[in-house]
Amino acid sequence: MTVTFEVELNGRSRTVAIERRAPAEADRFHVIIDGRVRVVDARRDSDGRLSLLFPEEGGTSYDVAVAASGRGEVTIHLPTASLRAVVNGRRARRPSDAGATAGEGEQRIAAPMPGRVVRVLVAPGDEVSPRQPLVIVEAMKMENELSASRAGRVKDVRVREGSSVEAGKLLVIVG
Amino acid sequence: MKILVANRGEIAVRVMRACRELGLRNVGVYSDGDRDAVHVRYADEAHHLGPSPAAESYLRSDRVIEVARRAGADAIHPGYGFLAENAAFARACRDAGLLFIGPAPEVITLMGSKTAARQAASRAGVPVVPGSEEPFGPDVPMEAIADTARRLAYPVLVKAVAGGGGKGMRTVATPDDLAAAVRAARGEAESAFGDAAIYLERRLERTRHVEIQLLADRHGTVVPFVERECSIQRRHQKVVEESPSPVVTADLRRGMAAQAAALARAVGYTNAGTIEYLLDADGRFYFLEMNTRLQVEHPVTEMVTGVDLVQWQIRIARGDALDLDPERAIAPRGHAIECRIYAEDPDRRFMPSPGTIVSLRSPSGPGIRDDSGVAAGSTVTVFYDSMISKLIGWGADRAQAIARLRRALMEYQVLGVRTTVPFFRWLLAQLDFEVARFDTGYLDRVLEHRTEPFAPVSEADEEIAAMAAALDAYFRLRPGAPTTTPGHAAKDSAWKRAARLDGVRS
Repeated sequence: MTVTFEVELNGRSRTVAIERRAPAEADRFHVIIDGRVRVVDARRDSDGRLSLLFPEEGGTSYDVAVAASGRGEVTIHLPTASLRAVVNGRRARRPSDAGATAGEGEQRIAAPMPGRVVRVLVAPGDEVSPRQPLVIVEAMKMENELSASRAGRVKDVRVREGSSVEAGKLLVIVG
Repeated sequence: MKILVANRGEIAVRVMRACRELGLRNVGVYSDGDRDAVHVRYADEAHHLGPSPAAESYLRSDRVIEVARRAGADAIHPGYGFLAENAAFARACRDAGLLFIGPAPEVITLMGSKTAARQAASRAGVPVVPGSEEPFGPDVPMEAIADTARRLAYPVLVKAVAGGGGKGMRTVATPDDLAAAVRAARGEAESAFGDAAIYLERRLERTRHVEIQLLADRHGTVVPFVERECSIQRRHQKVVEESPSPVVTADLRRGMAAQAAALARAVGYTNAGTIEYLLDADGRFYFLEMNTRLQVEHPVTEMVTGVDLVQWQIRIARGDALDLDPERAIAPRGHAIECRIYAEDPDRRFMPSPGTIVSLRSPSGPGIRDDSGVAAGSTVTVFYDSMISKLIGWGADRAQAIARLRRALMEYQVLGVRTTVPFFRWLLAQLDFEVARFDTGYLDRVLEHRTEPFAPVSEADEEIAAMAAALDAYFRLRPGAPTTTPGHAAKDSAWKRAARLDGVRS
């Protein structure tokens, strides 16, 4: 039996299919991600900490903590980095929600922080592909590329290059 | 003997540990916001001080002394910060018949005035940074200040006489900017210290911060220790400290230590204190200031000398004579480095990250010491300094100390708030750090142009994270589910369970 999850992470959505192997190998899973099958020996302790072993990849071991960080988001802590993800697009949506939202329907791309629009890379009517950059906003001396999470057609562009934007300001709508 | 610890967080725990090792009872104090804090749980007994703002609790000397009396304490250890360098508090303790674990109030007052401290250093034969001898009070005309600045030669620093921590301090590159800088420094000094007096110092370029820890007993013995280097600073705040300094030779060490001891003797210093120096590229050092308290970075000295400084503070206060071998105190065994772990987001210009620590995994193993003031469930509030722990690594040499710290930083996991752990993983991997090519301006120069995140994420990391997120969701919705249930029915019900679970969570 296979259970499939949509995991949105760093602006990209991945389909992760999990299939438990034979009962004799209770902790072993086939995980299909990005079209590749990886065999994982996974354990989860009562604190929610996961131990992942990859028996067919030299036994590589990962100690990972997954913590709910509110609004349906989880934070995944690897030894060297922490990442936020949304599983199955179940994040509760708020009008002020920053960045691209997942799931069906319109994608409303908003400014994640106050800043200046450096470049607008699309125009209404353009077809966009997943992860395609739409707008670049400069904030705190950093350029932030805001991209579409799914394919679609640009319905509206609400900003011009050079304009200053507040956090949460709607920039682009992709239908 | 019973000791009240007038502080919070990691330093309160540190002092209580020393009390316990000496077989002494300790008394903790807390504000409203700290009722659940680790130092309260750790204390033998703990008493309420007042509301969360420090001015209404940890800075209320009258309340602290009242609690000490009620609890039957004999002595007060102030830790660092709060009341640690407050001469009026030290005097109030003395008047109340309580032992203040630190120097006499007269010495705190003397060294608390930066200009008086510079004069004392000069008299004791310690070189000082060229600067104005007398403080410039609020009435001193700008022409007099400008004359002094011209004589010192630009760039100059305008500093608060009562200053510390970079407050009331301005760099002035040209005469045109002097008046504005003086006004700004005065305003800041007035609001931070209640004293608008300022003085000038020549700004020395590319200097390192090197300091000498010392202990002085009440019988005239002063023991200086091997130096600490604290040149890794962000906006005048120390971030990394180490001992010994990678650039100080044995001869230079003896010179710095001897001068520090001479100054301590000259001012009648007792208990633990630190003489701070600036060290220039030619190996010349200049007195900067004296800290009349235990310092945040004291553990690195403890690690390379084996001396428990906090235990000695208590023993000195109760009259014990120092019986340390002075040669051992300045001969480091190995190398120690400390990283100050803050609840700050390094990727957002070190913005404070208050919140609740959901889960905490502290590093351990060979050569690692974690002086922490938090645990899982602790709340980091906006009321106090956001330092949550100090991670100290010891090694037979500097390279091993760095390797152990890097290993420990991989083990360190704080969930719920952002911390500077990823920043330290990055810093300790820098070549400049590895070869100790830095001065006090190094970190600010590097950070100014840096835009990349401190914890870059590789494609492989992303994939592992996505798999972990999915597996986590899988385990949540199928706790102990049989592995053999086939078909679509099971899949549907699994989704329903997931939906229900989500409904419960949100």
